Amino acid sequence: MFLSSDDAKSIADKALTRSKADACAVHIQGGLDQSLRFARGGATTNLATAEAALRISSHIGGRIGSCSISRFDDAALAGAVARSEEIARMLPVDPDYVAPLGPQNYGFSDRYDDATANLRLDALADAAARVIEEGARIGVDTFGCATTARRFDAYATSAGLFAYERRSEIDLSATARNRADAWSGWAGAHQFFADRLDAEAIARVACAKGAHDATPVDLEPGAYTVVLEPEATTELAFWLIRTMEARAADEGRSFFARPGGGALLGEKLFDEKLTIRVDPADPLAPEAAVGYEGVPHRARAFVENGVVTTLYRSRAWAQKTESEPIPFAQNFVMSGGDVSLDDMVRSVRRGVLVTRFWYTNIVDRKSLLLTGLTRDGNFLIENGRIVAPMRNMRFNQRLGELFSNIKALGPTRRTWRAAGEGGAPAAPAMLVEGFNFSSKSSGI
Amino acid sequence: MAPAAPPSTSEASCARGRSAFALDRALLYDLADIALTGARQNGASYADVRIGETRREYAFAKDDRLESFDERASQGFGIRVLLDGCWGFYGARRLDPQSLRDGVERALENARAVKRIQTQPIALERLPVHEAEWIMPMGVDPFEVSASEKADLLLSIIASARDHGADFCSASLSATCEERFFANSLGSRIHQTRTRVAPNFQATAIDRASGRFATRECLAPARGAGWDYIVGAGLIEEAARAGEDARAKLGAKPVTPGDYDVVIDPTNLWLTIHETVGHSTELDRVLGWEANFAGTSFVKPHMLNKLQFGSELMTIVADRAQPGALATIGFDDDGAPAEAAEFAIVEKGVFRNFQMALGQAHLIGLSHSNGCAYADSPTTFPIQRMPNISLKPNPQKCSFNDLISDVENGIYVVGAGSWSIDQQRDNFQFGGQLFYEIRNGQLGDLLRDGAYQGRTTQFWNSLAGLCDASAYHLDGTFTCGKAEPVQVAPVSHGSPPALFRNVRVLNTSDDA
Repeated sequence: MFLSSDDAKSIADKALTRSKADACAVHIQGGLDQSLRFARGGATTNLATAEAALRISSHIGGRIGSCSISRFDDAALAGAVARSEEIARMLPVDPDYVAPLGPQNYGFSDRYDDATANLRLDALADAAARVIEEGARIGVDTFGCATTARRFDAYATSAGLFAYERRSEIDLSATARNRADAWSGWAGAHQFFADRLDAEAIARVACAKGAHDATPVDLEPGAYTVVLEPEATTELAFWLIRTMEARAADEGRSFFARPGGGALLGEKLFDEKLTIRVDPADPLAPEAAVGYEGVPHRARAFVENGVVTTLYRSRAWAQKTESEPIPFAQNFVMSGGDVSLDDMVRSVRRGVLVTRFWYTNIVDRKSLLLTGLTRDGNFLIENGRIVAPMRNMRFNQRLGELFSNIKALGPTRRTWRAAGEGGAPAAPAMLVEGFNFSSKSSGI
Repeated sequence: MAPAAPPSTSEASCARGRSAFALDRALLYDLADIALTGARQNGASYADVRIGETRREYAFAKDDRLESFDERASQGFGIRVLLDGCWGFYGARRLDPQSLRDGVERALENARAVKRIQTQPIALERLPVHEAEWIMPMGVDPFEVSASEKADLLLSIIASARDHGADFCSASLSATCEERFFANSLGSRIHQTRTRVAPNFQATAIDRASGRFATRECLAPARGAGWDYIVGAGLIEEAARAGEDARAKLGAKPVTPGDYDVVIDPTNLWLTIHETVGHSTELDRVLGWEANFAGTSFVKPHMLNKLQFGSELMTIVADRAQPGALATIGFDDDGAPAEAAEFAIVEKGVFRNFQMALGQAHLIGLSHSNGCAYADSPTTFPIQRMPNISLKPNPQKCSFNDLISDVENGIYVVGAGSWSIDQQRDNFQFGGQLFYEIRNGQLGDLLRDGAYQGRTTQFWNSLAGLCDASAYHLDGTFTCGKAEPVQVAPVSHGSPPALFRNVRVLNTSDDA
């Protein structure tokens, strides 16, 4: 269920008016998601789902009780308000209690387009058809998913805050496998504006990557030079940025903790080529203007020329440490360079071109050791040329070492995220030496 | 092709009676009739509708404060139609006649939209018809327990861990109640409800001088159960052990990497079963329907009854009726009864069955689904998901001490840590909460920084010992993810402690 700003405000006001608590906060979010999956050249599942939920948080005597509902009629609102107050009264007083935010100044994040928001499932069938037709043309099986979403978020508080944001989204991802089921390629993209999604290009790249008949070669585990395509770089950067939390660092439970106490803010921990920024006004990968807890997102670097400049900080932890709250970011831009992917490949004597990673997971939080596997387009590079498809490998790699050893960066571009999540990361292709492949995988 | 309707059956509720259902029965029947009549009148050869309510509660505390306490309730419906061999689906968070009428139109519109790419029409197998109720047996309803009692428990867990060596601790309690009404155009009308609860905590000990830290997470599993399970889980005592364990891990010996005989506790082995056996034997993956996301499988249809998945000790069964388990329910989300989901996946080491949902069985020459469909909300499309999948204990008597008695140089792994497996479910790497030496048949010192790595069939063929039923333990998760858009499913896996020979063990600090 997609609500306009006026409708969301009207519902929020009804809830706030009914509140008998010391203070009250309301978050309403919802929208319409449509998706179409296809496999071996035909549709498998599809759906359109309209959803909305309202969460009311009642603040009573330094305690907060919350209740969420999916119906917004008067009876449901009254019930939710009463229940959240009942819960709050039963809870212990929060020693780090933070009152609801008052009015804020938010920037503008350009993420909504009526034409994209109004797409129906037939548009997704069109996108899928491009992939299926390209697969048929060059003789590979195709699999994929196309999704659109239109979503809104509204925040209101008894302290006078009202914020509303909306976004439209579309994504398409495609996997191509050769007819022997022995090799696979992938491509995908996500945009807030449908006219920026190039389904033809996605179809072409995925099918070209999957169209290899040669038997994939095996590489022995060891340290290799790797050329990471932007999706692979994004995956690694995501793990880095999601661990950049101030409280964990201050408490000594993080890679960003200083031995003896405190956070490693202001320290040069990475290669000077590494810069990661978050910015609602960025045209390539705009973050939402309204962040978690209603805190505004501002343009800021988390890592600048290798130096850690910002860590996330909740409002409660910011109050306790007398510092600025910094909301978690869904989106980021990792700065790139001017080396093309082809030039990176040409510079490698023996190494691996990686399309994307799969099932990555942090193994050790102190050293930021990450494990995972390559997937859907792994190629052996010898003497500056791609010479063969290469079987997938597991890696175990410390992110601190990886991002301290960047040899070259390509131009930054938007990378794929599933629509509905609001994600818009952007990253470059990256050339790194000493990437640690720890074992072989037969997975294609 | 529409399925032929077999004779209908009628079954009684298994537990406490209709009072456990919150949704009005007459309203459900009326809404279902609107959806199914509308679908039939517009040419659908098959249609089904799921109407339901989900209640969730989540409480989270860290150190001396309760950070959040949140209750959620949501209602909704989902209509699935089969029109000219194409699926169409629409779901919404509303329960009124007009929303159902609109939903049918949108589902039919979606089916028409995909026709241009539907190269092979969707065909369905024979589906039984049921009119039934099913209510999960439960003691104390967790939603009837006060917020203050839950907050007190969380803060007591944290205090216990901090009193026993932890510098920091966070703790949470989750509860979910799903009520679902399923109706299809063949005549099935099934009303069910089930409840599940999950305790969790993480104790952290820090060595400020070195900057090192160690964590130990809760070993008490999520269960299909009520509040009485939480009360009886011994969480405060376990938190005390966790505090001591986290502190001890800071001073533990590092694992020496190498090949070991590894004894795996059920608190760790459940996840290995889930990743290597559970996901690899899902027929939708094998057919390529998850190739773009969750992945495919190294297991192929021609391997049925031929693949030596593991040693003769390995018998793994699917079971949707297992008491206390997370995927236990009377009927799956295609309306197939729980009895259909009682089968061996691996029997004495040989691969015997795939897991299937509606529309898959005929593709490998079988006559009907085996009850493995689940939708994580009434508003989402049901897909193939695991029933409870468990390793059967040794029928011969074997205690834990018996199991480790012939291990000269081994490692005992307890609790789930980090996990990762390739998209065809072959190459895996799993961490743990606690690693102990086994020397000359005896349990030895605590070790740190361990993880084990392997290949699925090689690993299961190295299964060399199993404890008997007295050591059987049921574990599991609320949140197994699959499909695009991602759906999360609850599932349990049981096993006894098991011995595997020559497993590669890493040191995650030095040997990464």
